Amino acid sequence: MDEPKVGVFLSEGGNQSSKVLDYDALASFAKNVAKVVLVERAKEFWRGDGLKAIVNAVKTKKLNRVVVAERLPKLSEVNIVKAVEKAGLNPFLVEVIDLEDHCARPHRNKPAEATAKAKAMLLAAIERAKLLEPLEKLEFPALKSILVIGGGIAGMQTAEDLAELGFEVQLVEKEPFLGGLASRAGRFFPTDDCAICIQAPSTDVKSITHTSRKCVYRSGFTEIQNLNVLTNSKITAVEGVPGNYRVTIEKKPRYVDEQKCIRCNLCAEVCPVEVPDDYNVKLKKRKAIYINIPEVYPPVYVIDEKACKFHECEKCVKVCPTKAVELDQKTEKKTLNVGAIVVATGFEEYDPSVIKEYHYGEYPDVVTNLQLARMIDCFGPTGGSIIRPSTREPAKRIVFVQCVGSRDRRWNPWCSSICCMISLKNAMLVKSADPETDVTICYIDIRTTGREHEYYYERARDMGIKFVKGRPTEIAHDPEDNTLIVDVEDAVSRKFLELEADLVVLATSMVPTQGTKELASMLGIELEQDGFFKEYNAKLRPTETKRKGIFLCGGATFPKDAPTSSLHAHSAALKAAKFLSTGKIVKDQKTAVIDDEYCGDCEFCPVTCPYGAISLVQKGEDHFVAQVSELQCEGCGICVGTCPLNAIELRHYRPSQMLAQMKALMSVNGTSKPLILAICCSECGHTAVDSSGMAMLEYPANVRVMKVPCTGILQIHQILEAFKAGAQGVMVVGCKTDGCHYEVGSPKAKKKVELAKMLLKEYGIEPERLEMFNLVYIEGDKFAEVAQTMTEKLEKMSPLQLSSS
Amino acid sequence: MTRYALFLGCTIPARQPHYEVSARKSLAKLGIDLVDLEGMTCCAPPPLQSIDLETSLSMAAYNISLAEEADLDIVTLCTGCFESLAIANNLLRENAKLKERVNKILSNAGKEFRGNKEVRHYLQVLMKDVGIDHLKKNVTRKLGNLKVATFYGCHSLRPSALLKFDDPERPKLFDNLVEALGAKSIWYRNKLKCCGGLLRGYADDIALAIARDKIAMATKAGADCLSTLCPFCFLTLDLGQFLMKSTYHEEYNLPILHYTELLSLSLGIDPKELALDFHKIRVDKVLSKIS
Amino acid sequence: MAHGKTAKSSGKTFLEEVRHMLGGETLASCYQCGTCASSCPVARVSERFNPREVIRQSLLGEKEEILFGDALWLCCSCYNCQERCPQKVEIADVFYALRNLAIREGKMPNIYSEFSAGLMSEGKIVPMSKFLEKKRADYGLPPLKPANMDTLRKILSATGFDKLKKKEEPQ
Repeated sequence: MDEPKVGVFLSEGGNQSSKVLDYDALASFAKNVAKVVLVERAKEFWRGDGLKAIVNAVKTKKLNRVVVAERLPKLSEVNIVKAVEKAGLNPFLVEVIDLEDHCARPHRNKPAEATAKAKAMLLAAIERAKLLEPLEKLEFPALKSILVIGGGIAGMQTAEDLAELGFEVQLVEKEPFLGGLASRAGRFFPTDDCAICIQAPSTDVKSITHTSRKCVYRSGFTEIQNLNVLTNSKITAVEGVPGNYRVTIEKKPRYVDEQKCIRCNLCAEVCPVEVPDDYNVKLKKRKAIYINIPEVYPPVYVIDEKACKFHECEKCVKVCPTKAVELDQKTEKKTLNVGAIVVATGFEEYDPSVIKEYHYGEYPDVVTNLQLARMIDCFGPTGGSIIRPSTREPAKRIVFVQCVGSRDRRWNPWCSSICCMISLKNAMLVKSADPETDVTICYIDIRTTGREHEYYYERARDMGIKFVKGRPTEIAHDPEDNTLIVDVEDAVSRKFLELEADLVVLATSMVPTQGTKELASMLGIELEQDGFFKEYNAKLRPTETKRKGIFLCGGATFPKDAPTSSLHAHSAALKAAKFLSTGKIVKDQKTAVIDDEYCGDCEFCPVTCPYGAISLVQKGEDHFVAQVSELQCEGCGICVGTCPLNAIELRHYRPSQMLAQMKALMSVNGTSKPLILAICCSECGHTAVDSSGMAMLEYPANVRVMKVPCTGILQIHQILEAFKAGAQGVMVVGCKTDGCHYEVGSPKAKKKVELAKMLLKEYGIEPERLEMFNLVYIEGDKFAEVAQTMTEKLEKMSPLQLSSS
Repeated sequence: MTRYALFLGCTIPARQPHYEVSARKSLAKLGIDLVDLEGMTCCAPPPLQSIDLETSLSMAAYNISLAEEADLDIVTLCTGCFESLAIANNLLRENAKLKERVNKILSNAGKEFRGNKEVRHYLQVLMKDVGIDHLKKNVTRKLGNLKVATFYGCHSLRPSALLKFDDPERPKLFDNLVEALGAKSIWYRNKLKCCGGLLRGYADDIALAIARDKIAMATKAGADCLSTLCPFCFLTLDLGQFLMKSTYHEEYNLPILHYTELLSLSLGIDPKELALDFHKIRVDKVLSKIS
Repeated sequence: MAHGKTAKSSGKTFLEEVRHMLGGETLASCYQCGTCASSCPVARVSERFNPREVIRQSLLGEKEEILFGDALWLCCSCYNCQERCPQKVEIADVFYALRNLAIREGKMPNIYSEFSAGLMSEGKIVPMSKFLEKKRADYGLPPLKPANMDTLRKILSATGFDKLKKKEEPQ
């Protein structure tokens, strides 16, 4: 690296800067700093002539470091960096600071103090700039192929979108047929159209156009190019990196040749084995060789391995007219190479038998909403009639119980969000099929938050469906007349009711599908406390995960109705497509580097990294060292703060750079107050300082702000160094502990600050000199307030005298 | 011989010697050695918990500390005592802050609750230390035709998280022990619901109405007798039937027997030794069915 | 509830007061689903008591109505509601907390005064019958061991139990 040649550009724009700060003094101060070869002043530097001036100076004066004081760096910095890059300088050698919102505005009533602080800020920027290193732009190859896990309503739509955008798509479904949970719902709310389209294959591709039908799946789903469907398959291993995953799939044998089966049903007719039909939630039996419904994909029978007697029987083999049954098929292992993965594993009904007071699984006439939906479906176990399973007689008195296992801290505390609508839908379908049926819904709250949903509720009342506001304590059974009795208080009328019923329908909670945990651990992505997959950020990145290249959609993140699942599916498709569209992943080198010499393979950093970017690799016989994936590293520095051996540094926030900055900030005081170093994270912490300036709030000029990527980067010795550099107090300002942009950084910093306080006490330094504050962007007022109170607190203490040793 | 500190409580000695007699005799016969400790007070059941929970917890902890000093687990005959002591024992074990608070109170009396002993209901002792098989072997008089409506009472089962007695919705322990004697445990509606006993003294009419439901349901299901585990339940349902006669003009005559009485009878103990005349509802019907 | 009565402004304070009592911690979790009411054997037979409504009143801060009312004393402590409450409100324990508060305010039903007196004189809430005590030997029962009153009094004094008394009703 060449000798630093720093150019300093002072923008005098801004309604306060020019009035408050003494720019002549600042310019001459900057000129006298070592290695500064140029100081320029202008109204603004982030566009137009100002920007040209920087470019020109970089070219003519051969600047290799650029320091700019400009308003609103969060907007202006991008332009400046781009321009500098165009001028031929590495864009990472630029430092932009904000003298308006961080200095002139908050200290506008003390111009001399403000100017002194501005000097310190300039010096810090210059000292930091001198130590900056050029970083590269990295490119990683990415396969333009995508794996979609789960062939339900969300997975199928994502797969379709992506295939039509030209990606190679592998759709993997663990069940033998596509369709998922939604396809068994009979009808959908609020459109009231049938759910069957989800699982049906195309019938006539040519005559069906996508826009003419509601159910896009039927419009040639199986005929889409680049789309390969693997049913009866599960993921067993995931290796590799974003853009290039190697996924191992186990495809269970179907025992029926997909090309030969003609769906004549002869096999099922002769099959002697009957087992409960899971597709119909055990409401009927099916044979060991079966197909869920006639119109399903793939349109091929399958043998239930657990039930079939195989060669002991062979009746199906003998009867099959096309010799399609192959009892000796074996499990196949497949390896798929994909650039990205979309998880669309959905949710399932909670088994309510654990709620013993409701006797599900014990009284046959207590069923779930899914079971009722199967009865309503004309392809279902009862051909569309609503019966009592115990007697097969028509059910004339039906009671729905809402929130079964949902909103229940004993089981699942969350509201499953769709069960109110499901019950309303099913109740209305029952009632319209036979208006004589007596239908009651026992509820805690009816939640109809979607479009058209409230009309549903209105219609249900209009149809004469009764509503009881109360959660039943139990469902009893009177053996004498085989009647169910629902014990409930109607809070509105304050009456205790014993509702007699032929059929009780439980609106059960919705939970993650089985295998969710295992899949999450294979993919290295997190689950929420409720067991559903955790999105990167629910507000702005609802279909992404913290692992680049792995996306989520549909019910995998939380129970969703069909319209919401569809939205989610299309969103995930777009995100995955964006990620792979160029066939490469471009990223900067703001990453962590590990010093192999010092790394003690303690596993702290691989475990802590929120992005899974660090792994241990073997170096020597029994020596492992941590290795950072530059592709996955987000440059937060939490690993730096975690490493007990100081073996990790961020390329763009080296300890030497931070120390130089710290010393510079503490080098000029200019006020009569004790100097405070405010170490702010680049997310909420630093922006809270911005917003306090924008809001024209005042705090004393002895408070000096230093930006770090995340407070998680802090090491205890750095805090001590701050005191050594002359700080009388240190404020660490990070995001809320549950809102850290890097997930774990701010809570870790909080703990570290507590620890450091104990250490300070040991050294005989007042622990109150150090505080952590957790703010959000808009809490500029809080920042100003704590800066003020911290100053007042320190003013009451006698000055800290640290020996220079 | 298995030794336990017997926590007798207030009601049994004061009102129901037949319970104590049958319990001492039957448990001794099955090899359970009951030790009467010095100085035990009231367990601090719901009526005292209603006055002051902190005092109640402290008293329960004090009583447990006596057993800790004697290095013995506690067995109770009264379900109310079981509940108060077991809740305190488990709650204080789980909640260090509360334990500290209670021990601060006990320190005034020079006592300390440690939490290293168990509090057991005698049914648990029968199941754990005697066992169904051994019990069956000792039965000399099978209660063959007897249809018994078991009544767990509330405070053996609930709050289940702290009592850990049996599945609160599908308890089996009592029924299994009744069937081990050769009798038949029958199902009746609202079997797990309360007898109303704790409202006696404050709202006798309500207590009686609740007890009546219990007796009516067991009678409807064809019970020869109803078996209890608790002196309060016994009193409410036995004496209660007299009151039902005067209040509702309903006569049930359903014998109420403590499980220890059924047990004593099936172990061959002479009914004359069991002080059965303390029953308000005569038990002759039961005796005639089994002898 | 009387027509037109609105929640007291002291609502929040009362909720806090109850929540800081032993047993009262879970009060605020209630979402009024009524499982407690339909579980309650007392509410089934008497209009004087509904656990859901007492909890509701507590949440609305109707302190006087609850502490000096009748309903508070009608919970039979059967724990049916608590066992089944989907929000894990420890309802029976909340009732203990409310009763403890009422007693501190001087409202102590007679039967509780009797229990308290029994405890302070003999260490037992059901007084021993002299007749039965004499008869014990006849039934083959060992002599009764008395409660350690000295120790008990120390405990009762440490918790302030011995100071809890019924206040005379204002005329």
